Amino acid sequence: MTIYTYPSFVSEWGPGPAIKTSFEARCDCTLEFIALDSSVAILHRLRLEGESTRADLVLGLDANIMAEARKTGLLAPHGIDTSALELPINWQDDIFVPYDWGYFAFVYDTEQLTNPPSSLEALIDAPDDLKIILQDPRTSTPGLGFLLWMRHVYGDQAPEKWQALQDNILTVSKGWSDAYFSLFMNGEAPMVLSYSTSPAYHMAVDNTDRYQAVAFEEGHYLQVEVAALVRTSQQPALARQFLEFMLTPAFQQEIPLKNVMYPAIDLGQQVPDVFDRLIDPPETLYFQPETVADHRKQWIDEWLNATTR
Amino acid sequence: MAQRDYALIAPPLAHPAWRRWPGRIIALVLMIIVAAGFGGLLTEWQWQAVPALWQSAYLRQVIWFSIYQAAVSTALSLTLAIPVARALHRQSRFRGRGLLLRLTELSLVLPTIVAVFGLVAVYGRSGWFNALLETLGLPASWNLYGLQGILLAHVFFNAPLAARIMLQSMERIPANQWRLAAQLGLGSSAIWRALEWPALRRLLPGLAAFVFTLCFTSFAIVMTLGGGPKSTTVEVAIYQALRYEFDFSQAAVLAVVQLLICGSLWALASRQASAGSLMPGGTVSSDQWPRRDAMPAHRRDRLLLLVFTVFLLLPLVAVAVRGFPGLYGELTHTRLWTSLGRSLIVAVTAASLSIGFGLAILGASQSDTRSGRKWQSGFIEASGHLTLVVPALVLGTGLFVLLRPQLGNVSQGLALVTLINALMALPFVIQVLRGPFKAFDPRSLRLADQFNVRGWYRFRLLLLPLLKRPLLLGFAYAAGLSLGDFSVIALFGSPSSPTLPLLLYQQLSAYQLDDAAGTALVMLVLLFGIFFVLHRLGDGRSRYRQETPVPVRKQAHA
Repeated sequence: MTIYTYPSFVSEWGPGPAIKTSFEARCDCTLEFIALDSSVAILHRLRLEGESTRADLVLGLDANIMAEARKTGLLAPHGIDTSALELPINWQDDIFVPYDWGYFAFVYDTEQLTNPPSSLEALIDAPDDLKIILQDPRTSTPGLGFLLWMRHVYGDQAPEKWQALQDNILTVSKGWSDAYFSLFMNGEAPMVLSYSTSPAYHMAVDNTDRYQAVAFEEGHYLQVEVAALVRTSQQPALARQFLEFMLTPAFQQEIPLKNVMYPAIDLGQQVPDVFDRLIDPPETLYFQPETVADHRKQWIDEWLNATTR
Repeated sequence: MAQRDYALIAPPLAHPAWRRWPGRIIALVLMIIVAAGFGGLLTEWQWQAVPALWQSAYLRQVIWFSIYQAAVSTALSLTLAIPVARALHRQSRFRGRGLLLRLTELSLVLPTIVAVFGLVAVYGRSGWFNALLETLGLPASWNLYGLQGILLAHVFFNAPLAARIMLQSMERIPANQWRLAAQLGLGSSAIWRALEWPALRRLLPGLAAFVFTLCFTSFAIVMTLGGGPKSTTVEVAIYQALRYEFDFSQAAVLAVVQLLICGSLWALASRQASAGSLMPGGTVSSDQWPRRDAMPAHRRDRLLLLVFTVFLLLPLVAVAVRGFPGLYGELTHTRLWTSLGRSLIVAVTAASLSIGFGLAILGASQSDTRSGRKWQSGFIEASGHLTLVVPALVLGTGLFVLLRPQLGNVSQGLALVTLINALMALPFVIQVLRGPFKAFDPRSLRLADQFNVRGWYRFRLLLLPLLKRPLLLGFAYAAGLSLGDFSVIALFGSPSSPTLPLLLYQQLSAYQLDDAAGTALVMLVLLFGIFFVLHRLGDGRSRYRQETPVPVRKQAHA
């Protein structure tokens, strides 16, 4: 059985290898992960290949591109019981099954910043010397997440707020890696756009509390990662079995520290302790995938106009 | 007469067709591959995308900014390169010369993410440079982000390249002219007017076009250091259209814009350069004539070269400093060694292919030029430069669209990666080889014809000794370029069996930041190792001590 996914999922440190072993032990099959560039690349590849695709299942689509993925007509209803799901939002979807989630958040360096802004508004009003590193919504998932976050909080006022934020932006990088590795880890700015779960990795594996996320009063934008069956699959039963397996503890326990996200079901005591120390947003912000699909281009143009002026 | 001799004893591959046809065939195949890749996108062409381009104020701004930053970057790089090349030529005994020459080679194949990491550590807000300013009590803190950051990075990448090419062209100035200059007692400025400037003037249009193209298509640097959407390039717009909008039509239109701008620049520059190729004399000065103006400028030159070396070295040192803690852990893991092995196989194969293509293309184009078939020769040369103006991403995606149902397993993907990497390196390999190819003394060649030294013998006995160093250098460039490739591998590679750059990205996305820094250092050491070893090989038995340098880099898209 072939699964299209993204690189960090199958890398040696990702959840992939353990999941492969434990699923193969119960299915009498061979699981093949084909990792593509990114979440968007999975959809891209699926579209390019059309009905000739080898994929039986796609894993790692972002909720924001679900509507686009649905439009391809290449995905099939999952037909499994999703009542075990524990997400901050109510999930009802006939095609997509979530397997983890997290919030976009600003991660800050406690050694550079003792008193981070406690709201989006405070960040926008912050003095110019408080610099943040963002990612481009046209080329990165967190970048798009922040665009939607701003839009959710400010609606039509978003372009003005973007302009007000300009002075606080050190730079807008192409993707998360450049922002986090080349810039943030080099101490270029005290804050970077990332995930609320990022500090968990630093705390659990690097054993440092230096990097923390800051909770904004307006709430945080949600990211949900989903999987779906491919309509042309030769192994529909097996693929469905995998989707069911996804919502069991055997799969989910690999998520917190290997995918550095929240598990999609209640794992109870199996969640690492450091997850208790993560921020707990007062509100979950989320657009329906159709809304994102309908407005993404327009909102990106707004952002472009607001920031190039 | 040659025909009769040929009938008597025929050395292997002696038939004249062997010089022309492989190159012609390869040129044709390359044209077809690039046309196919481009055509793959063009099948999705929609005319609405053209007005959409002009109606968008944003895209107009992108095109304008691409041109503007590339022009300024080129001007700065060349301005810095001229004094550096002169100093390098004057001070042939400068102690750090070897190191500096290796650095000029290396900085051009550095993967952007590694280079940017180093540049930020040195010139960033909390980098060494600002710390130095502070200790010196200078209040002004330097800001890396924005146009100045882009320019700094582009100068870091391109000034060494330009200096290297200029040095090469100065070394082509025949020894008797230097002797004459020495006898006439010409000073520094007179030498500049009489010898150096005429040599450089022929070179500059082509060189400028070349550097401009590299800066114009720059992507990751511009995105990371540019600050935001105010400073993006056409490449970003292409990437965005391909990767996020699935808008092949828009991507194709933008790629055509890029092709028109860079292609017409090339055409213009190569027309200029062909006039300049009527260089006096064919022999390459083997031993450098000691320059009379070397002594007076001794101190100034040394200072300049020292500063330039530090400028190139610092970001690399920074990568080493940051990478060292993670290095030990990395070296004990098999994943590093397997990725390294995979990378090396791809790199060596791609480099060999590239060298083979380059030789065939130059051979054919030279033979066509000699026989007065200008059009064919131009066509063949152009085929080798196509990938400079067609973005790797466009080529890759286009080929993918065409090949889609067939592509599957890891080795097919890697084979395609190897082929595209070879194509991407080809323009640079050709640049390296072209000079020495042109430098063959026509009289010796005629003599060789008379004695029927042709084909394989001719290559081995006559051409190889002269070509050995450029060949090794071209090989090093092509291999280095392939080792650092992020864009093509991301399209076709299989992340479960990564190459070195892919491993780096995987580590980054899994927060293995120390390991990632270690991997970046390994890449750096590997690149340095390749250049060092190949340089030594080239030095060893080369009969002509001749500096034959040149260029390369490609921006990573991933």
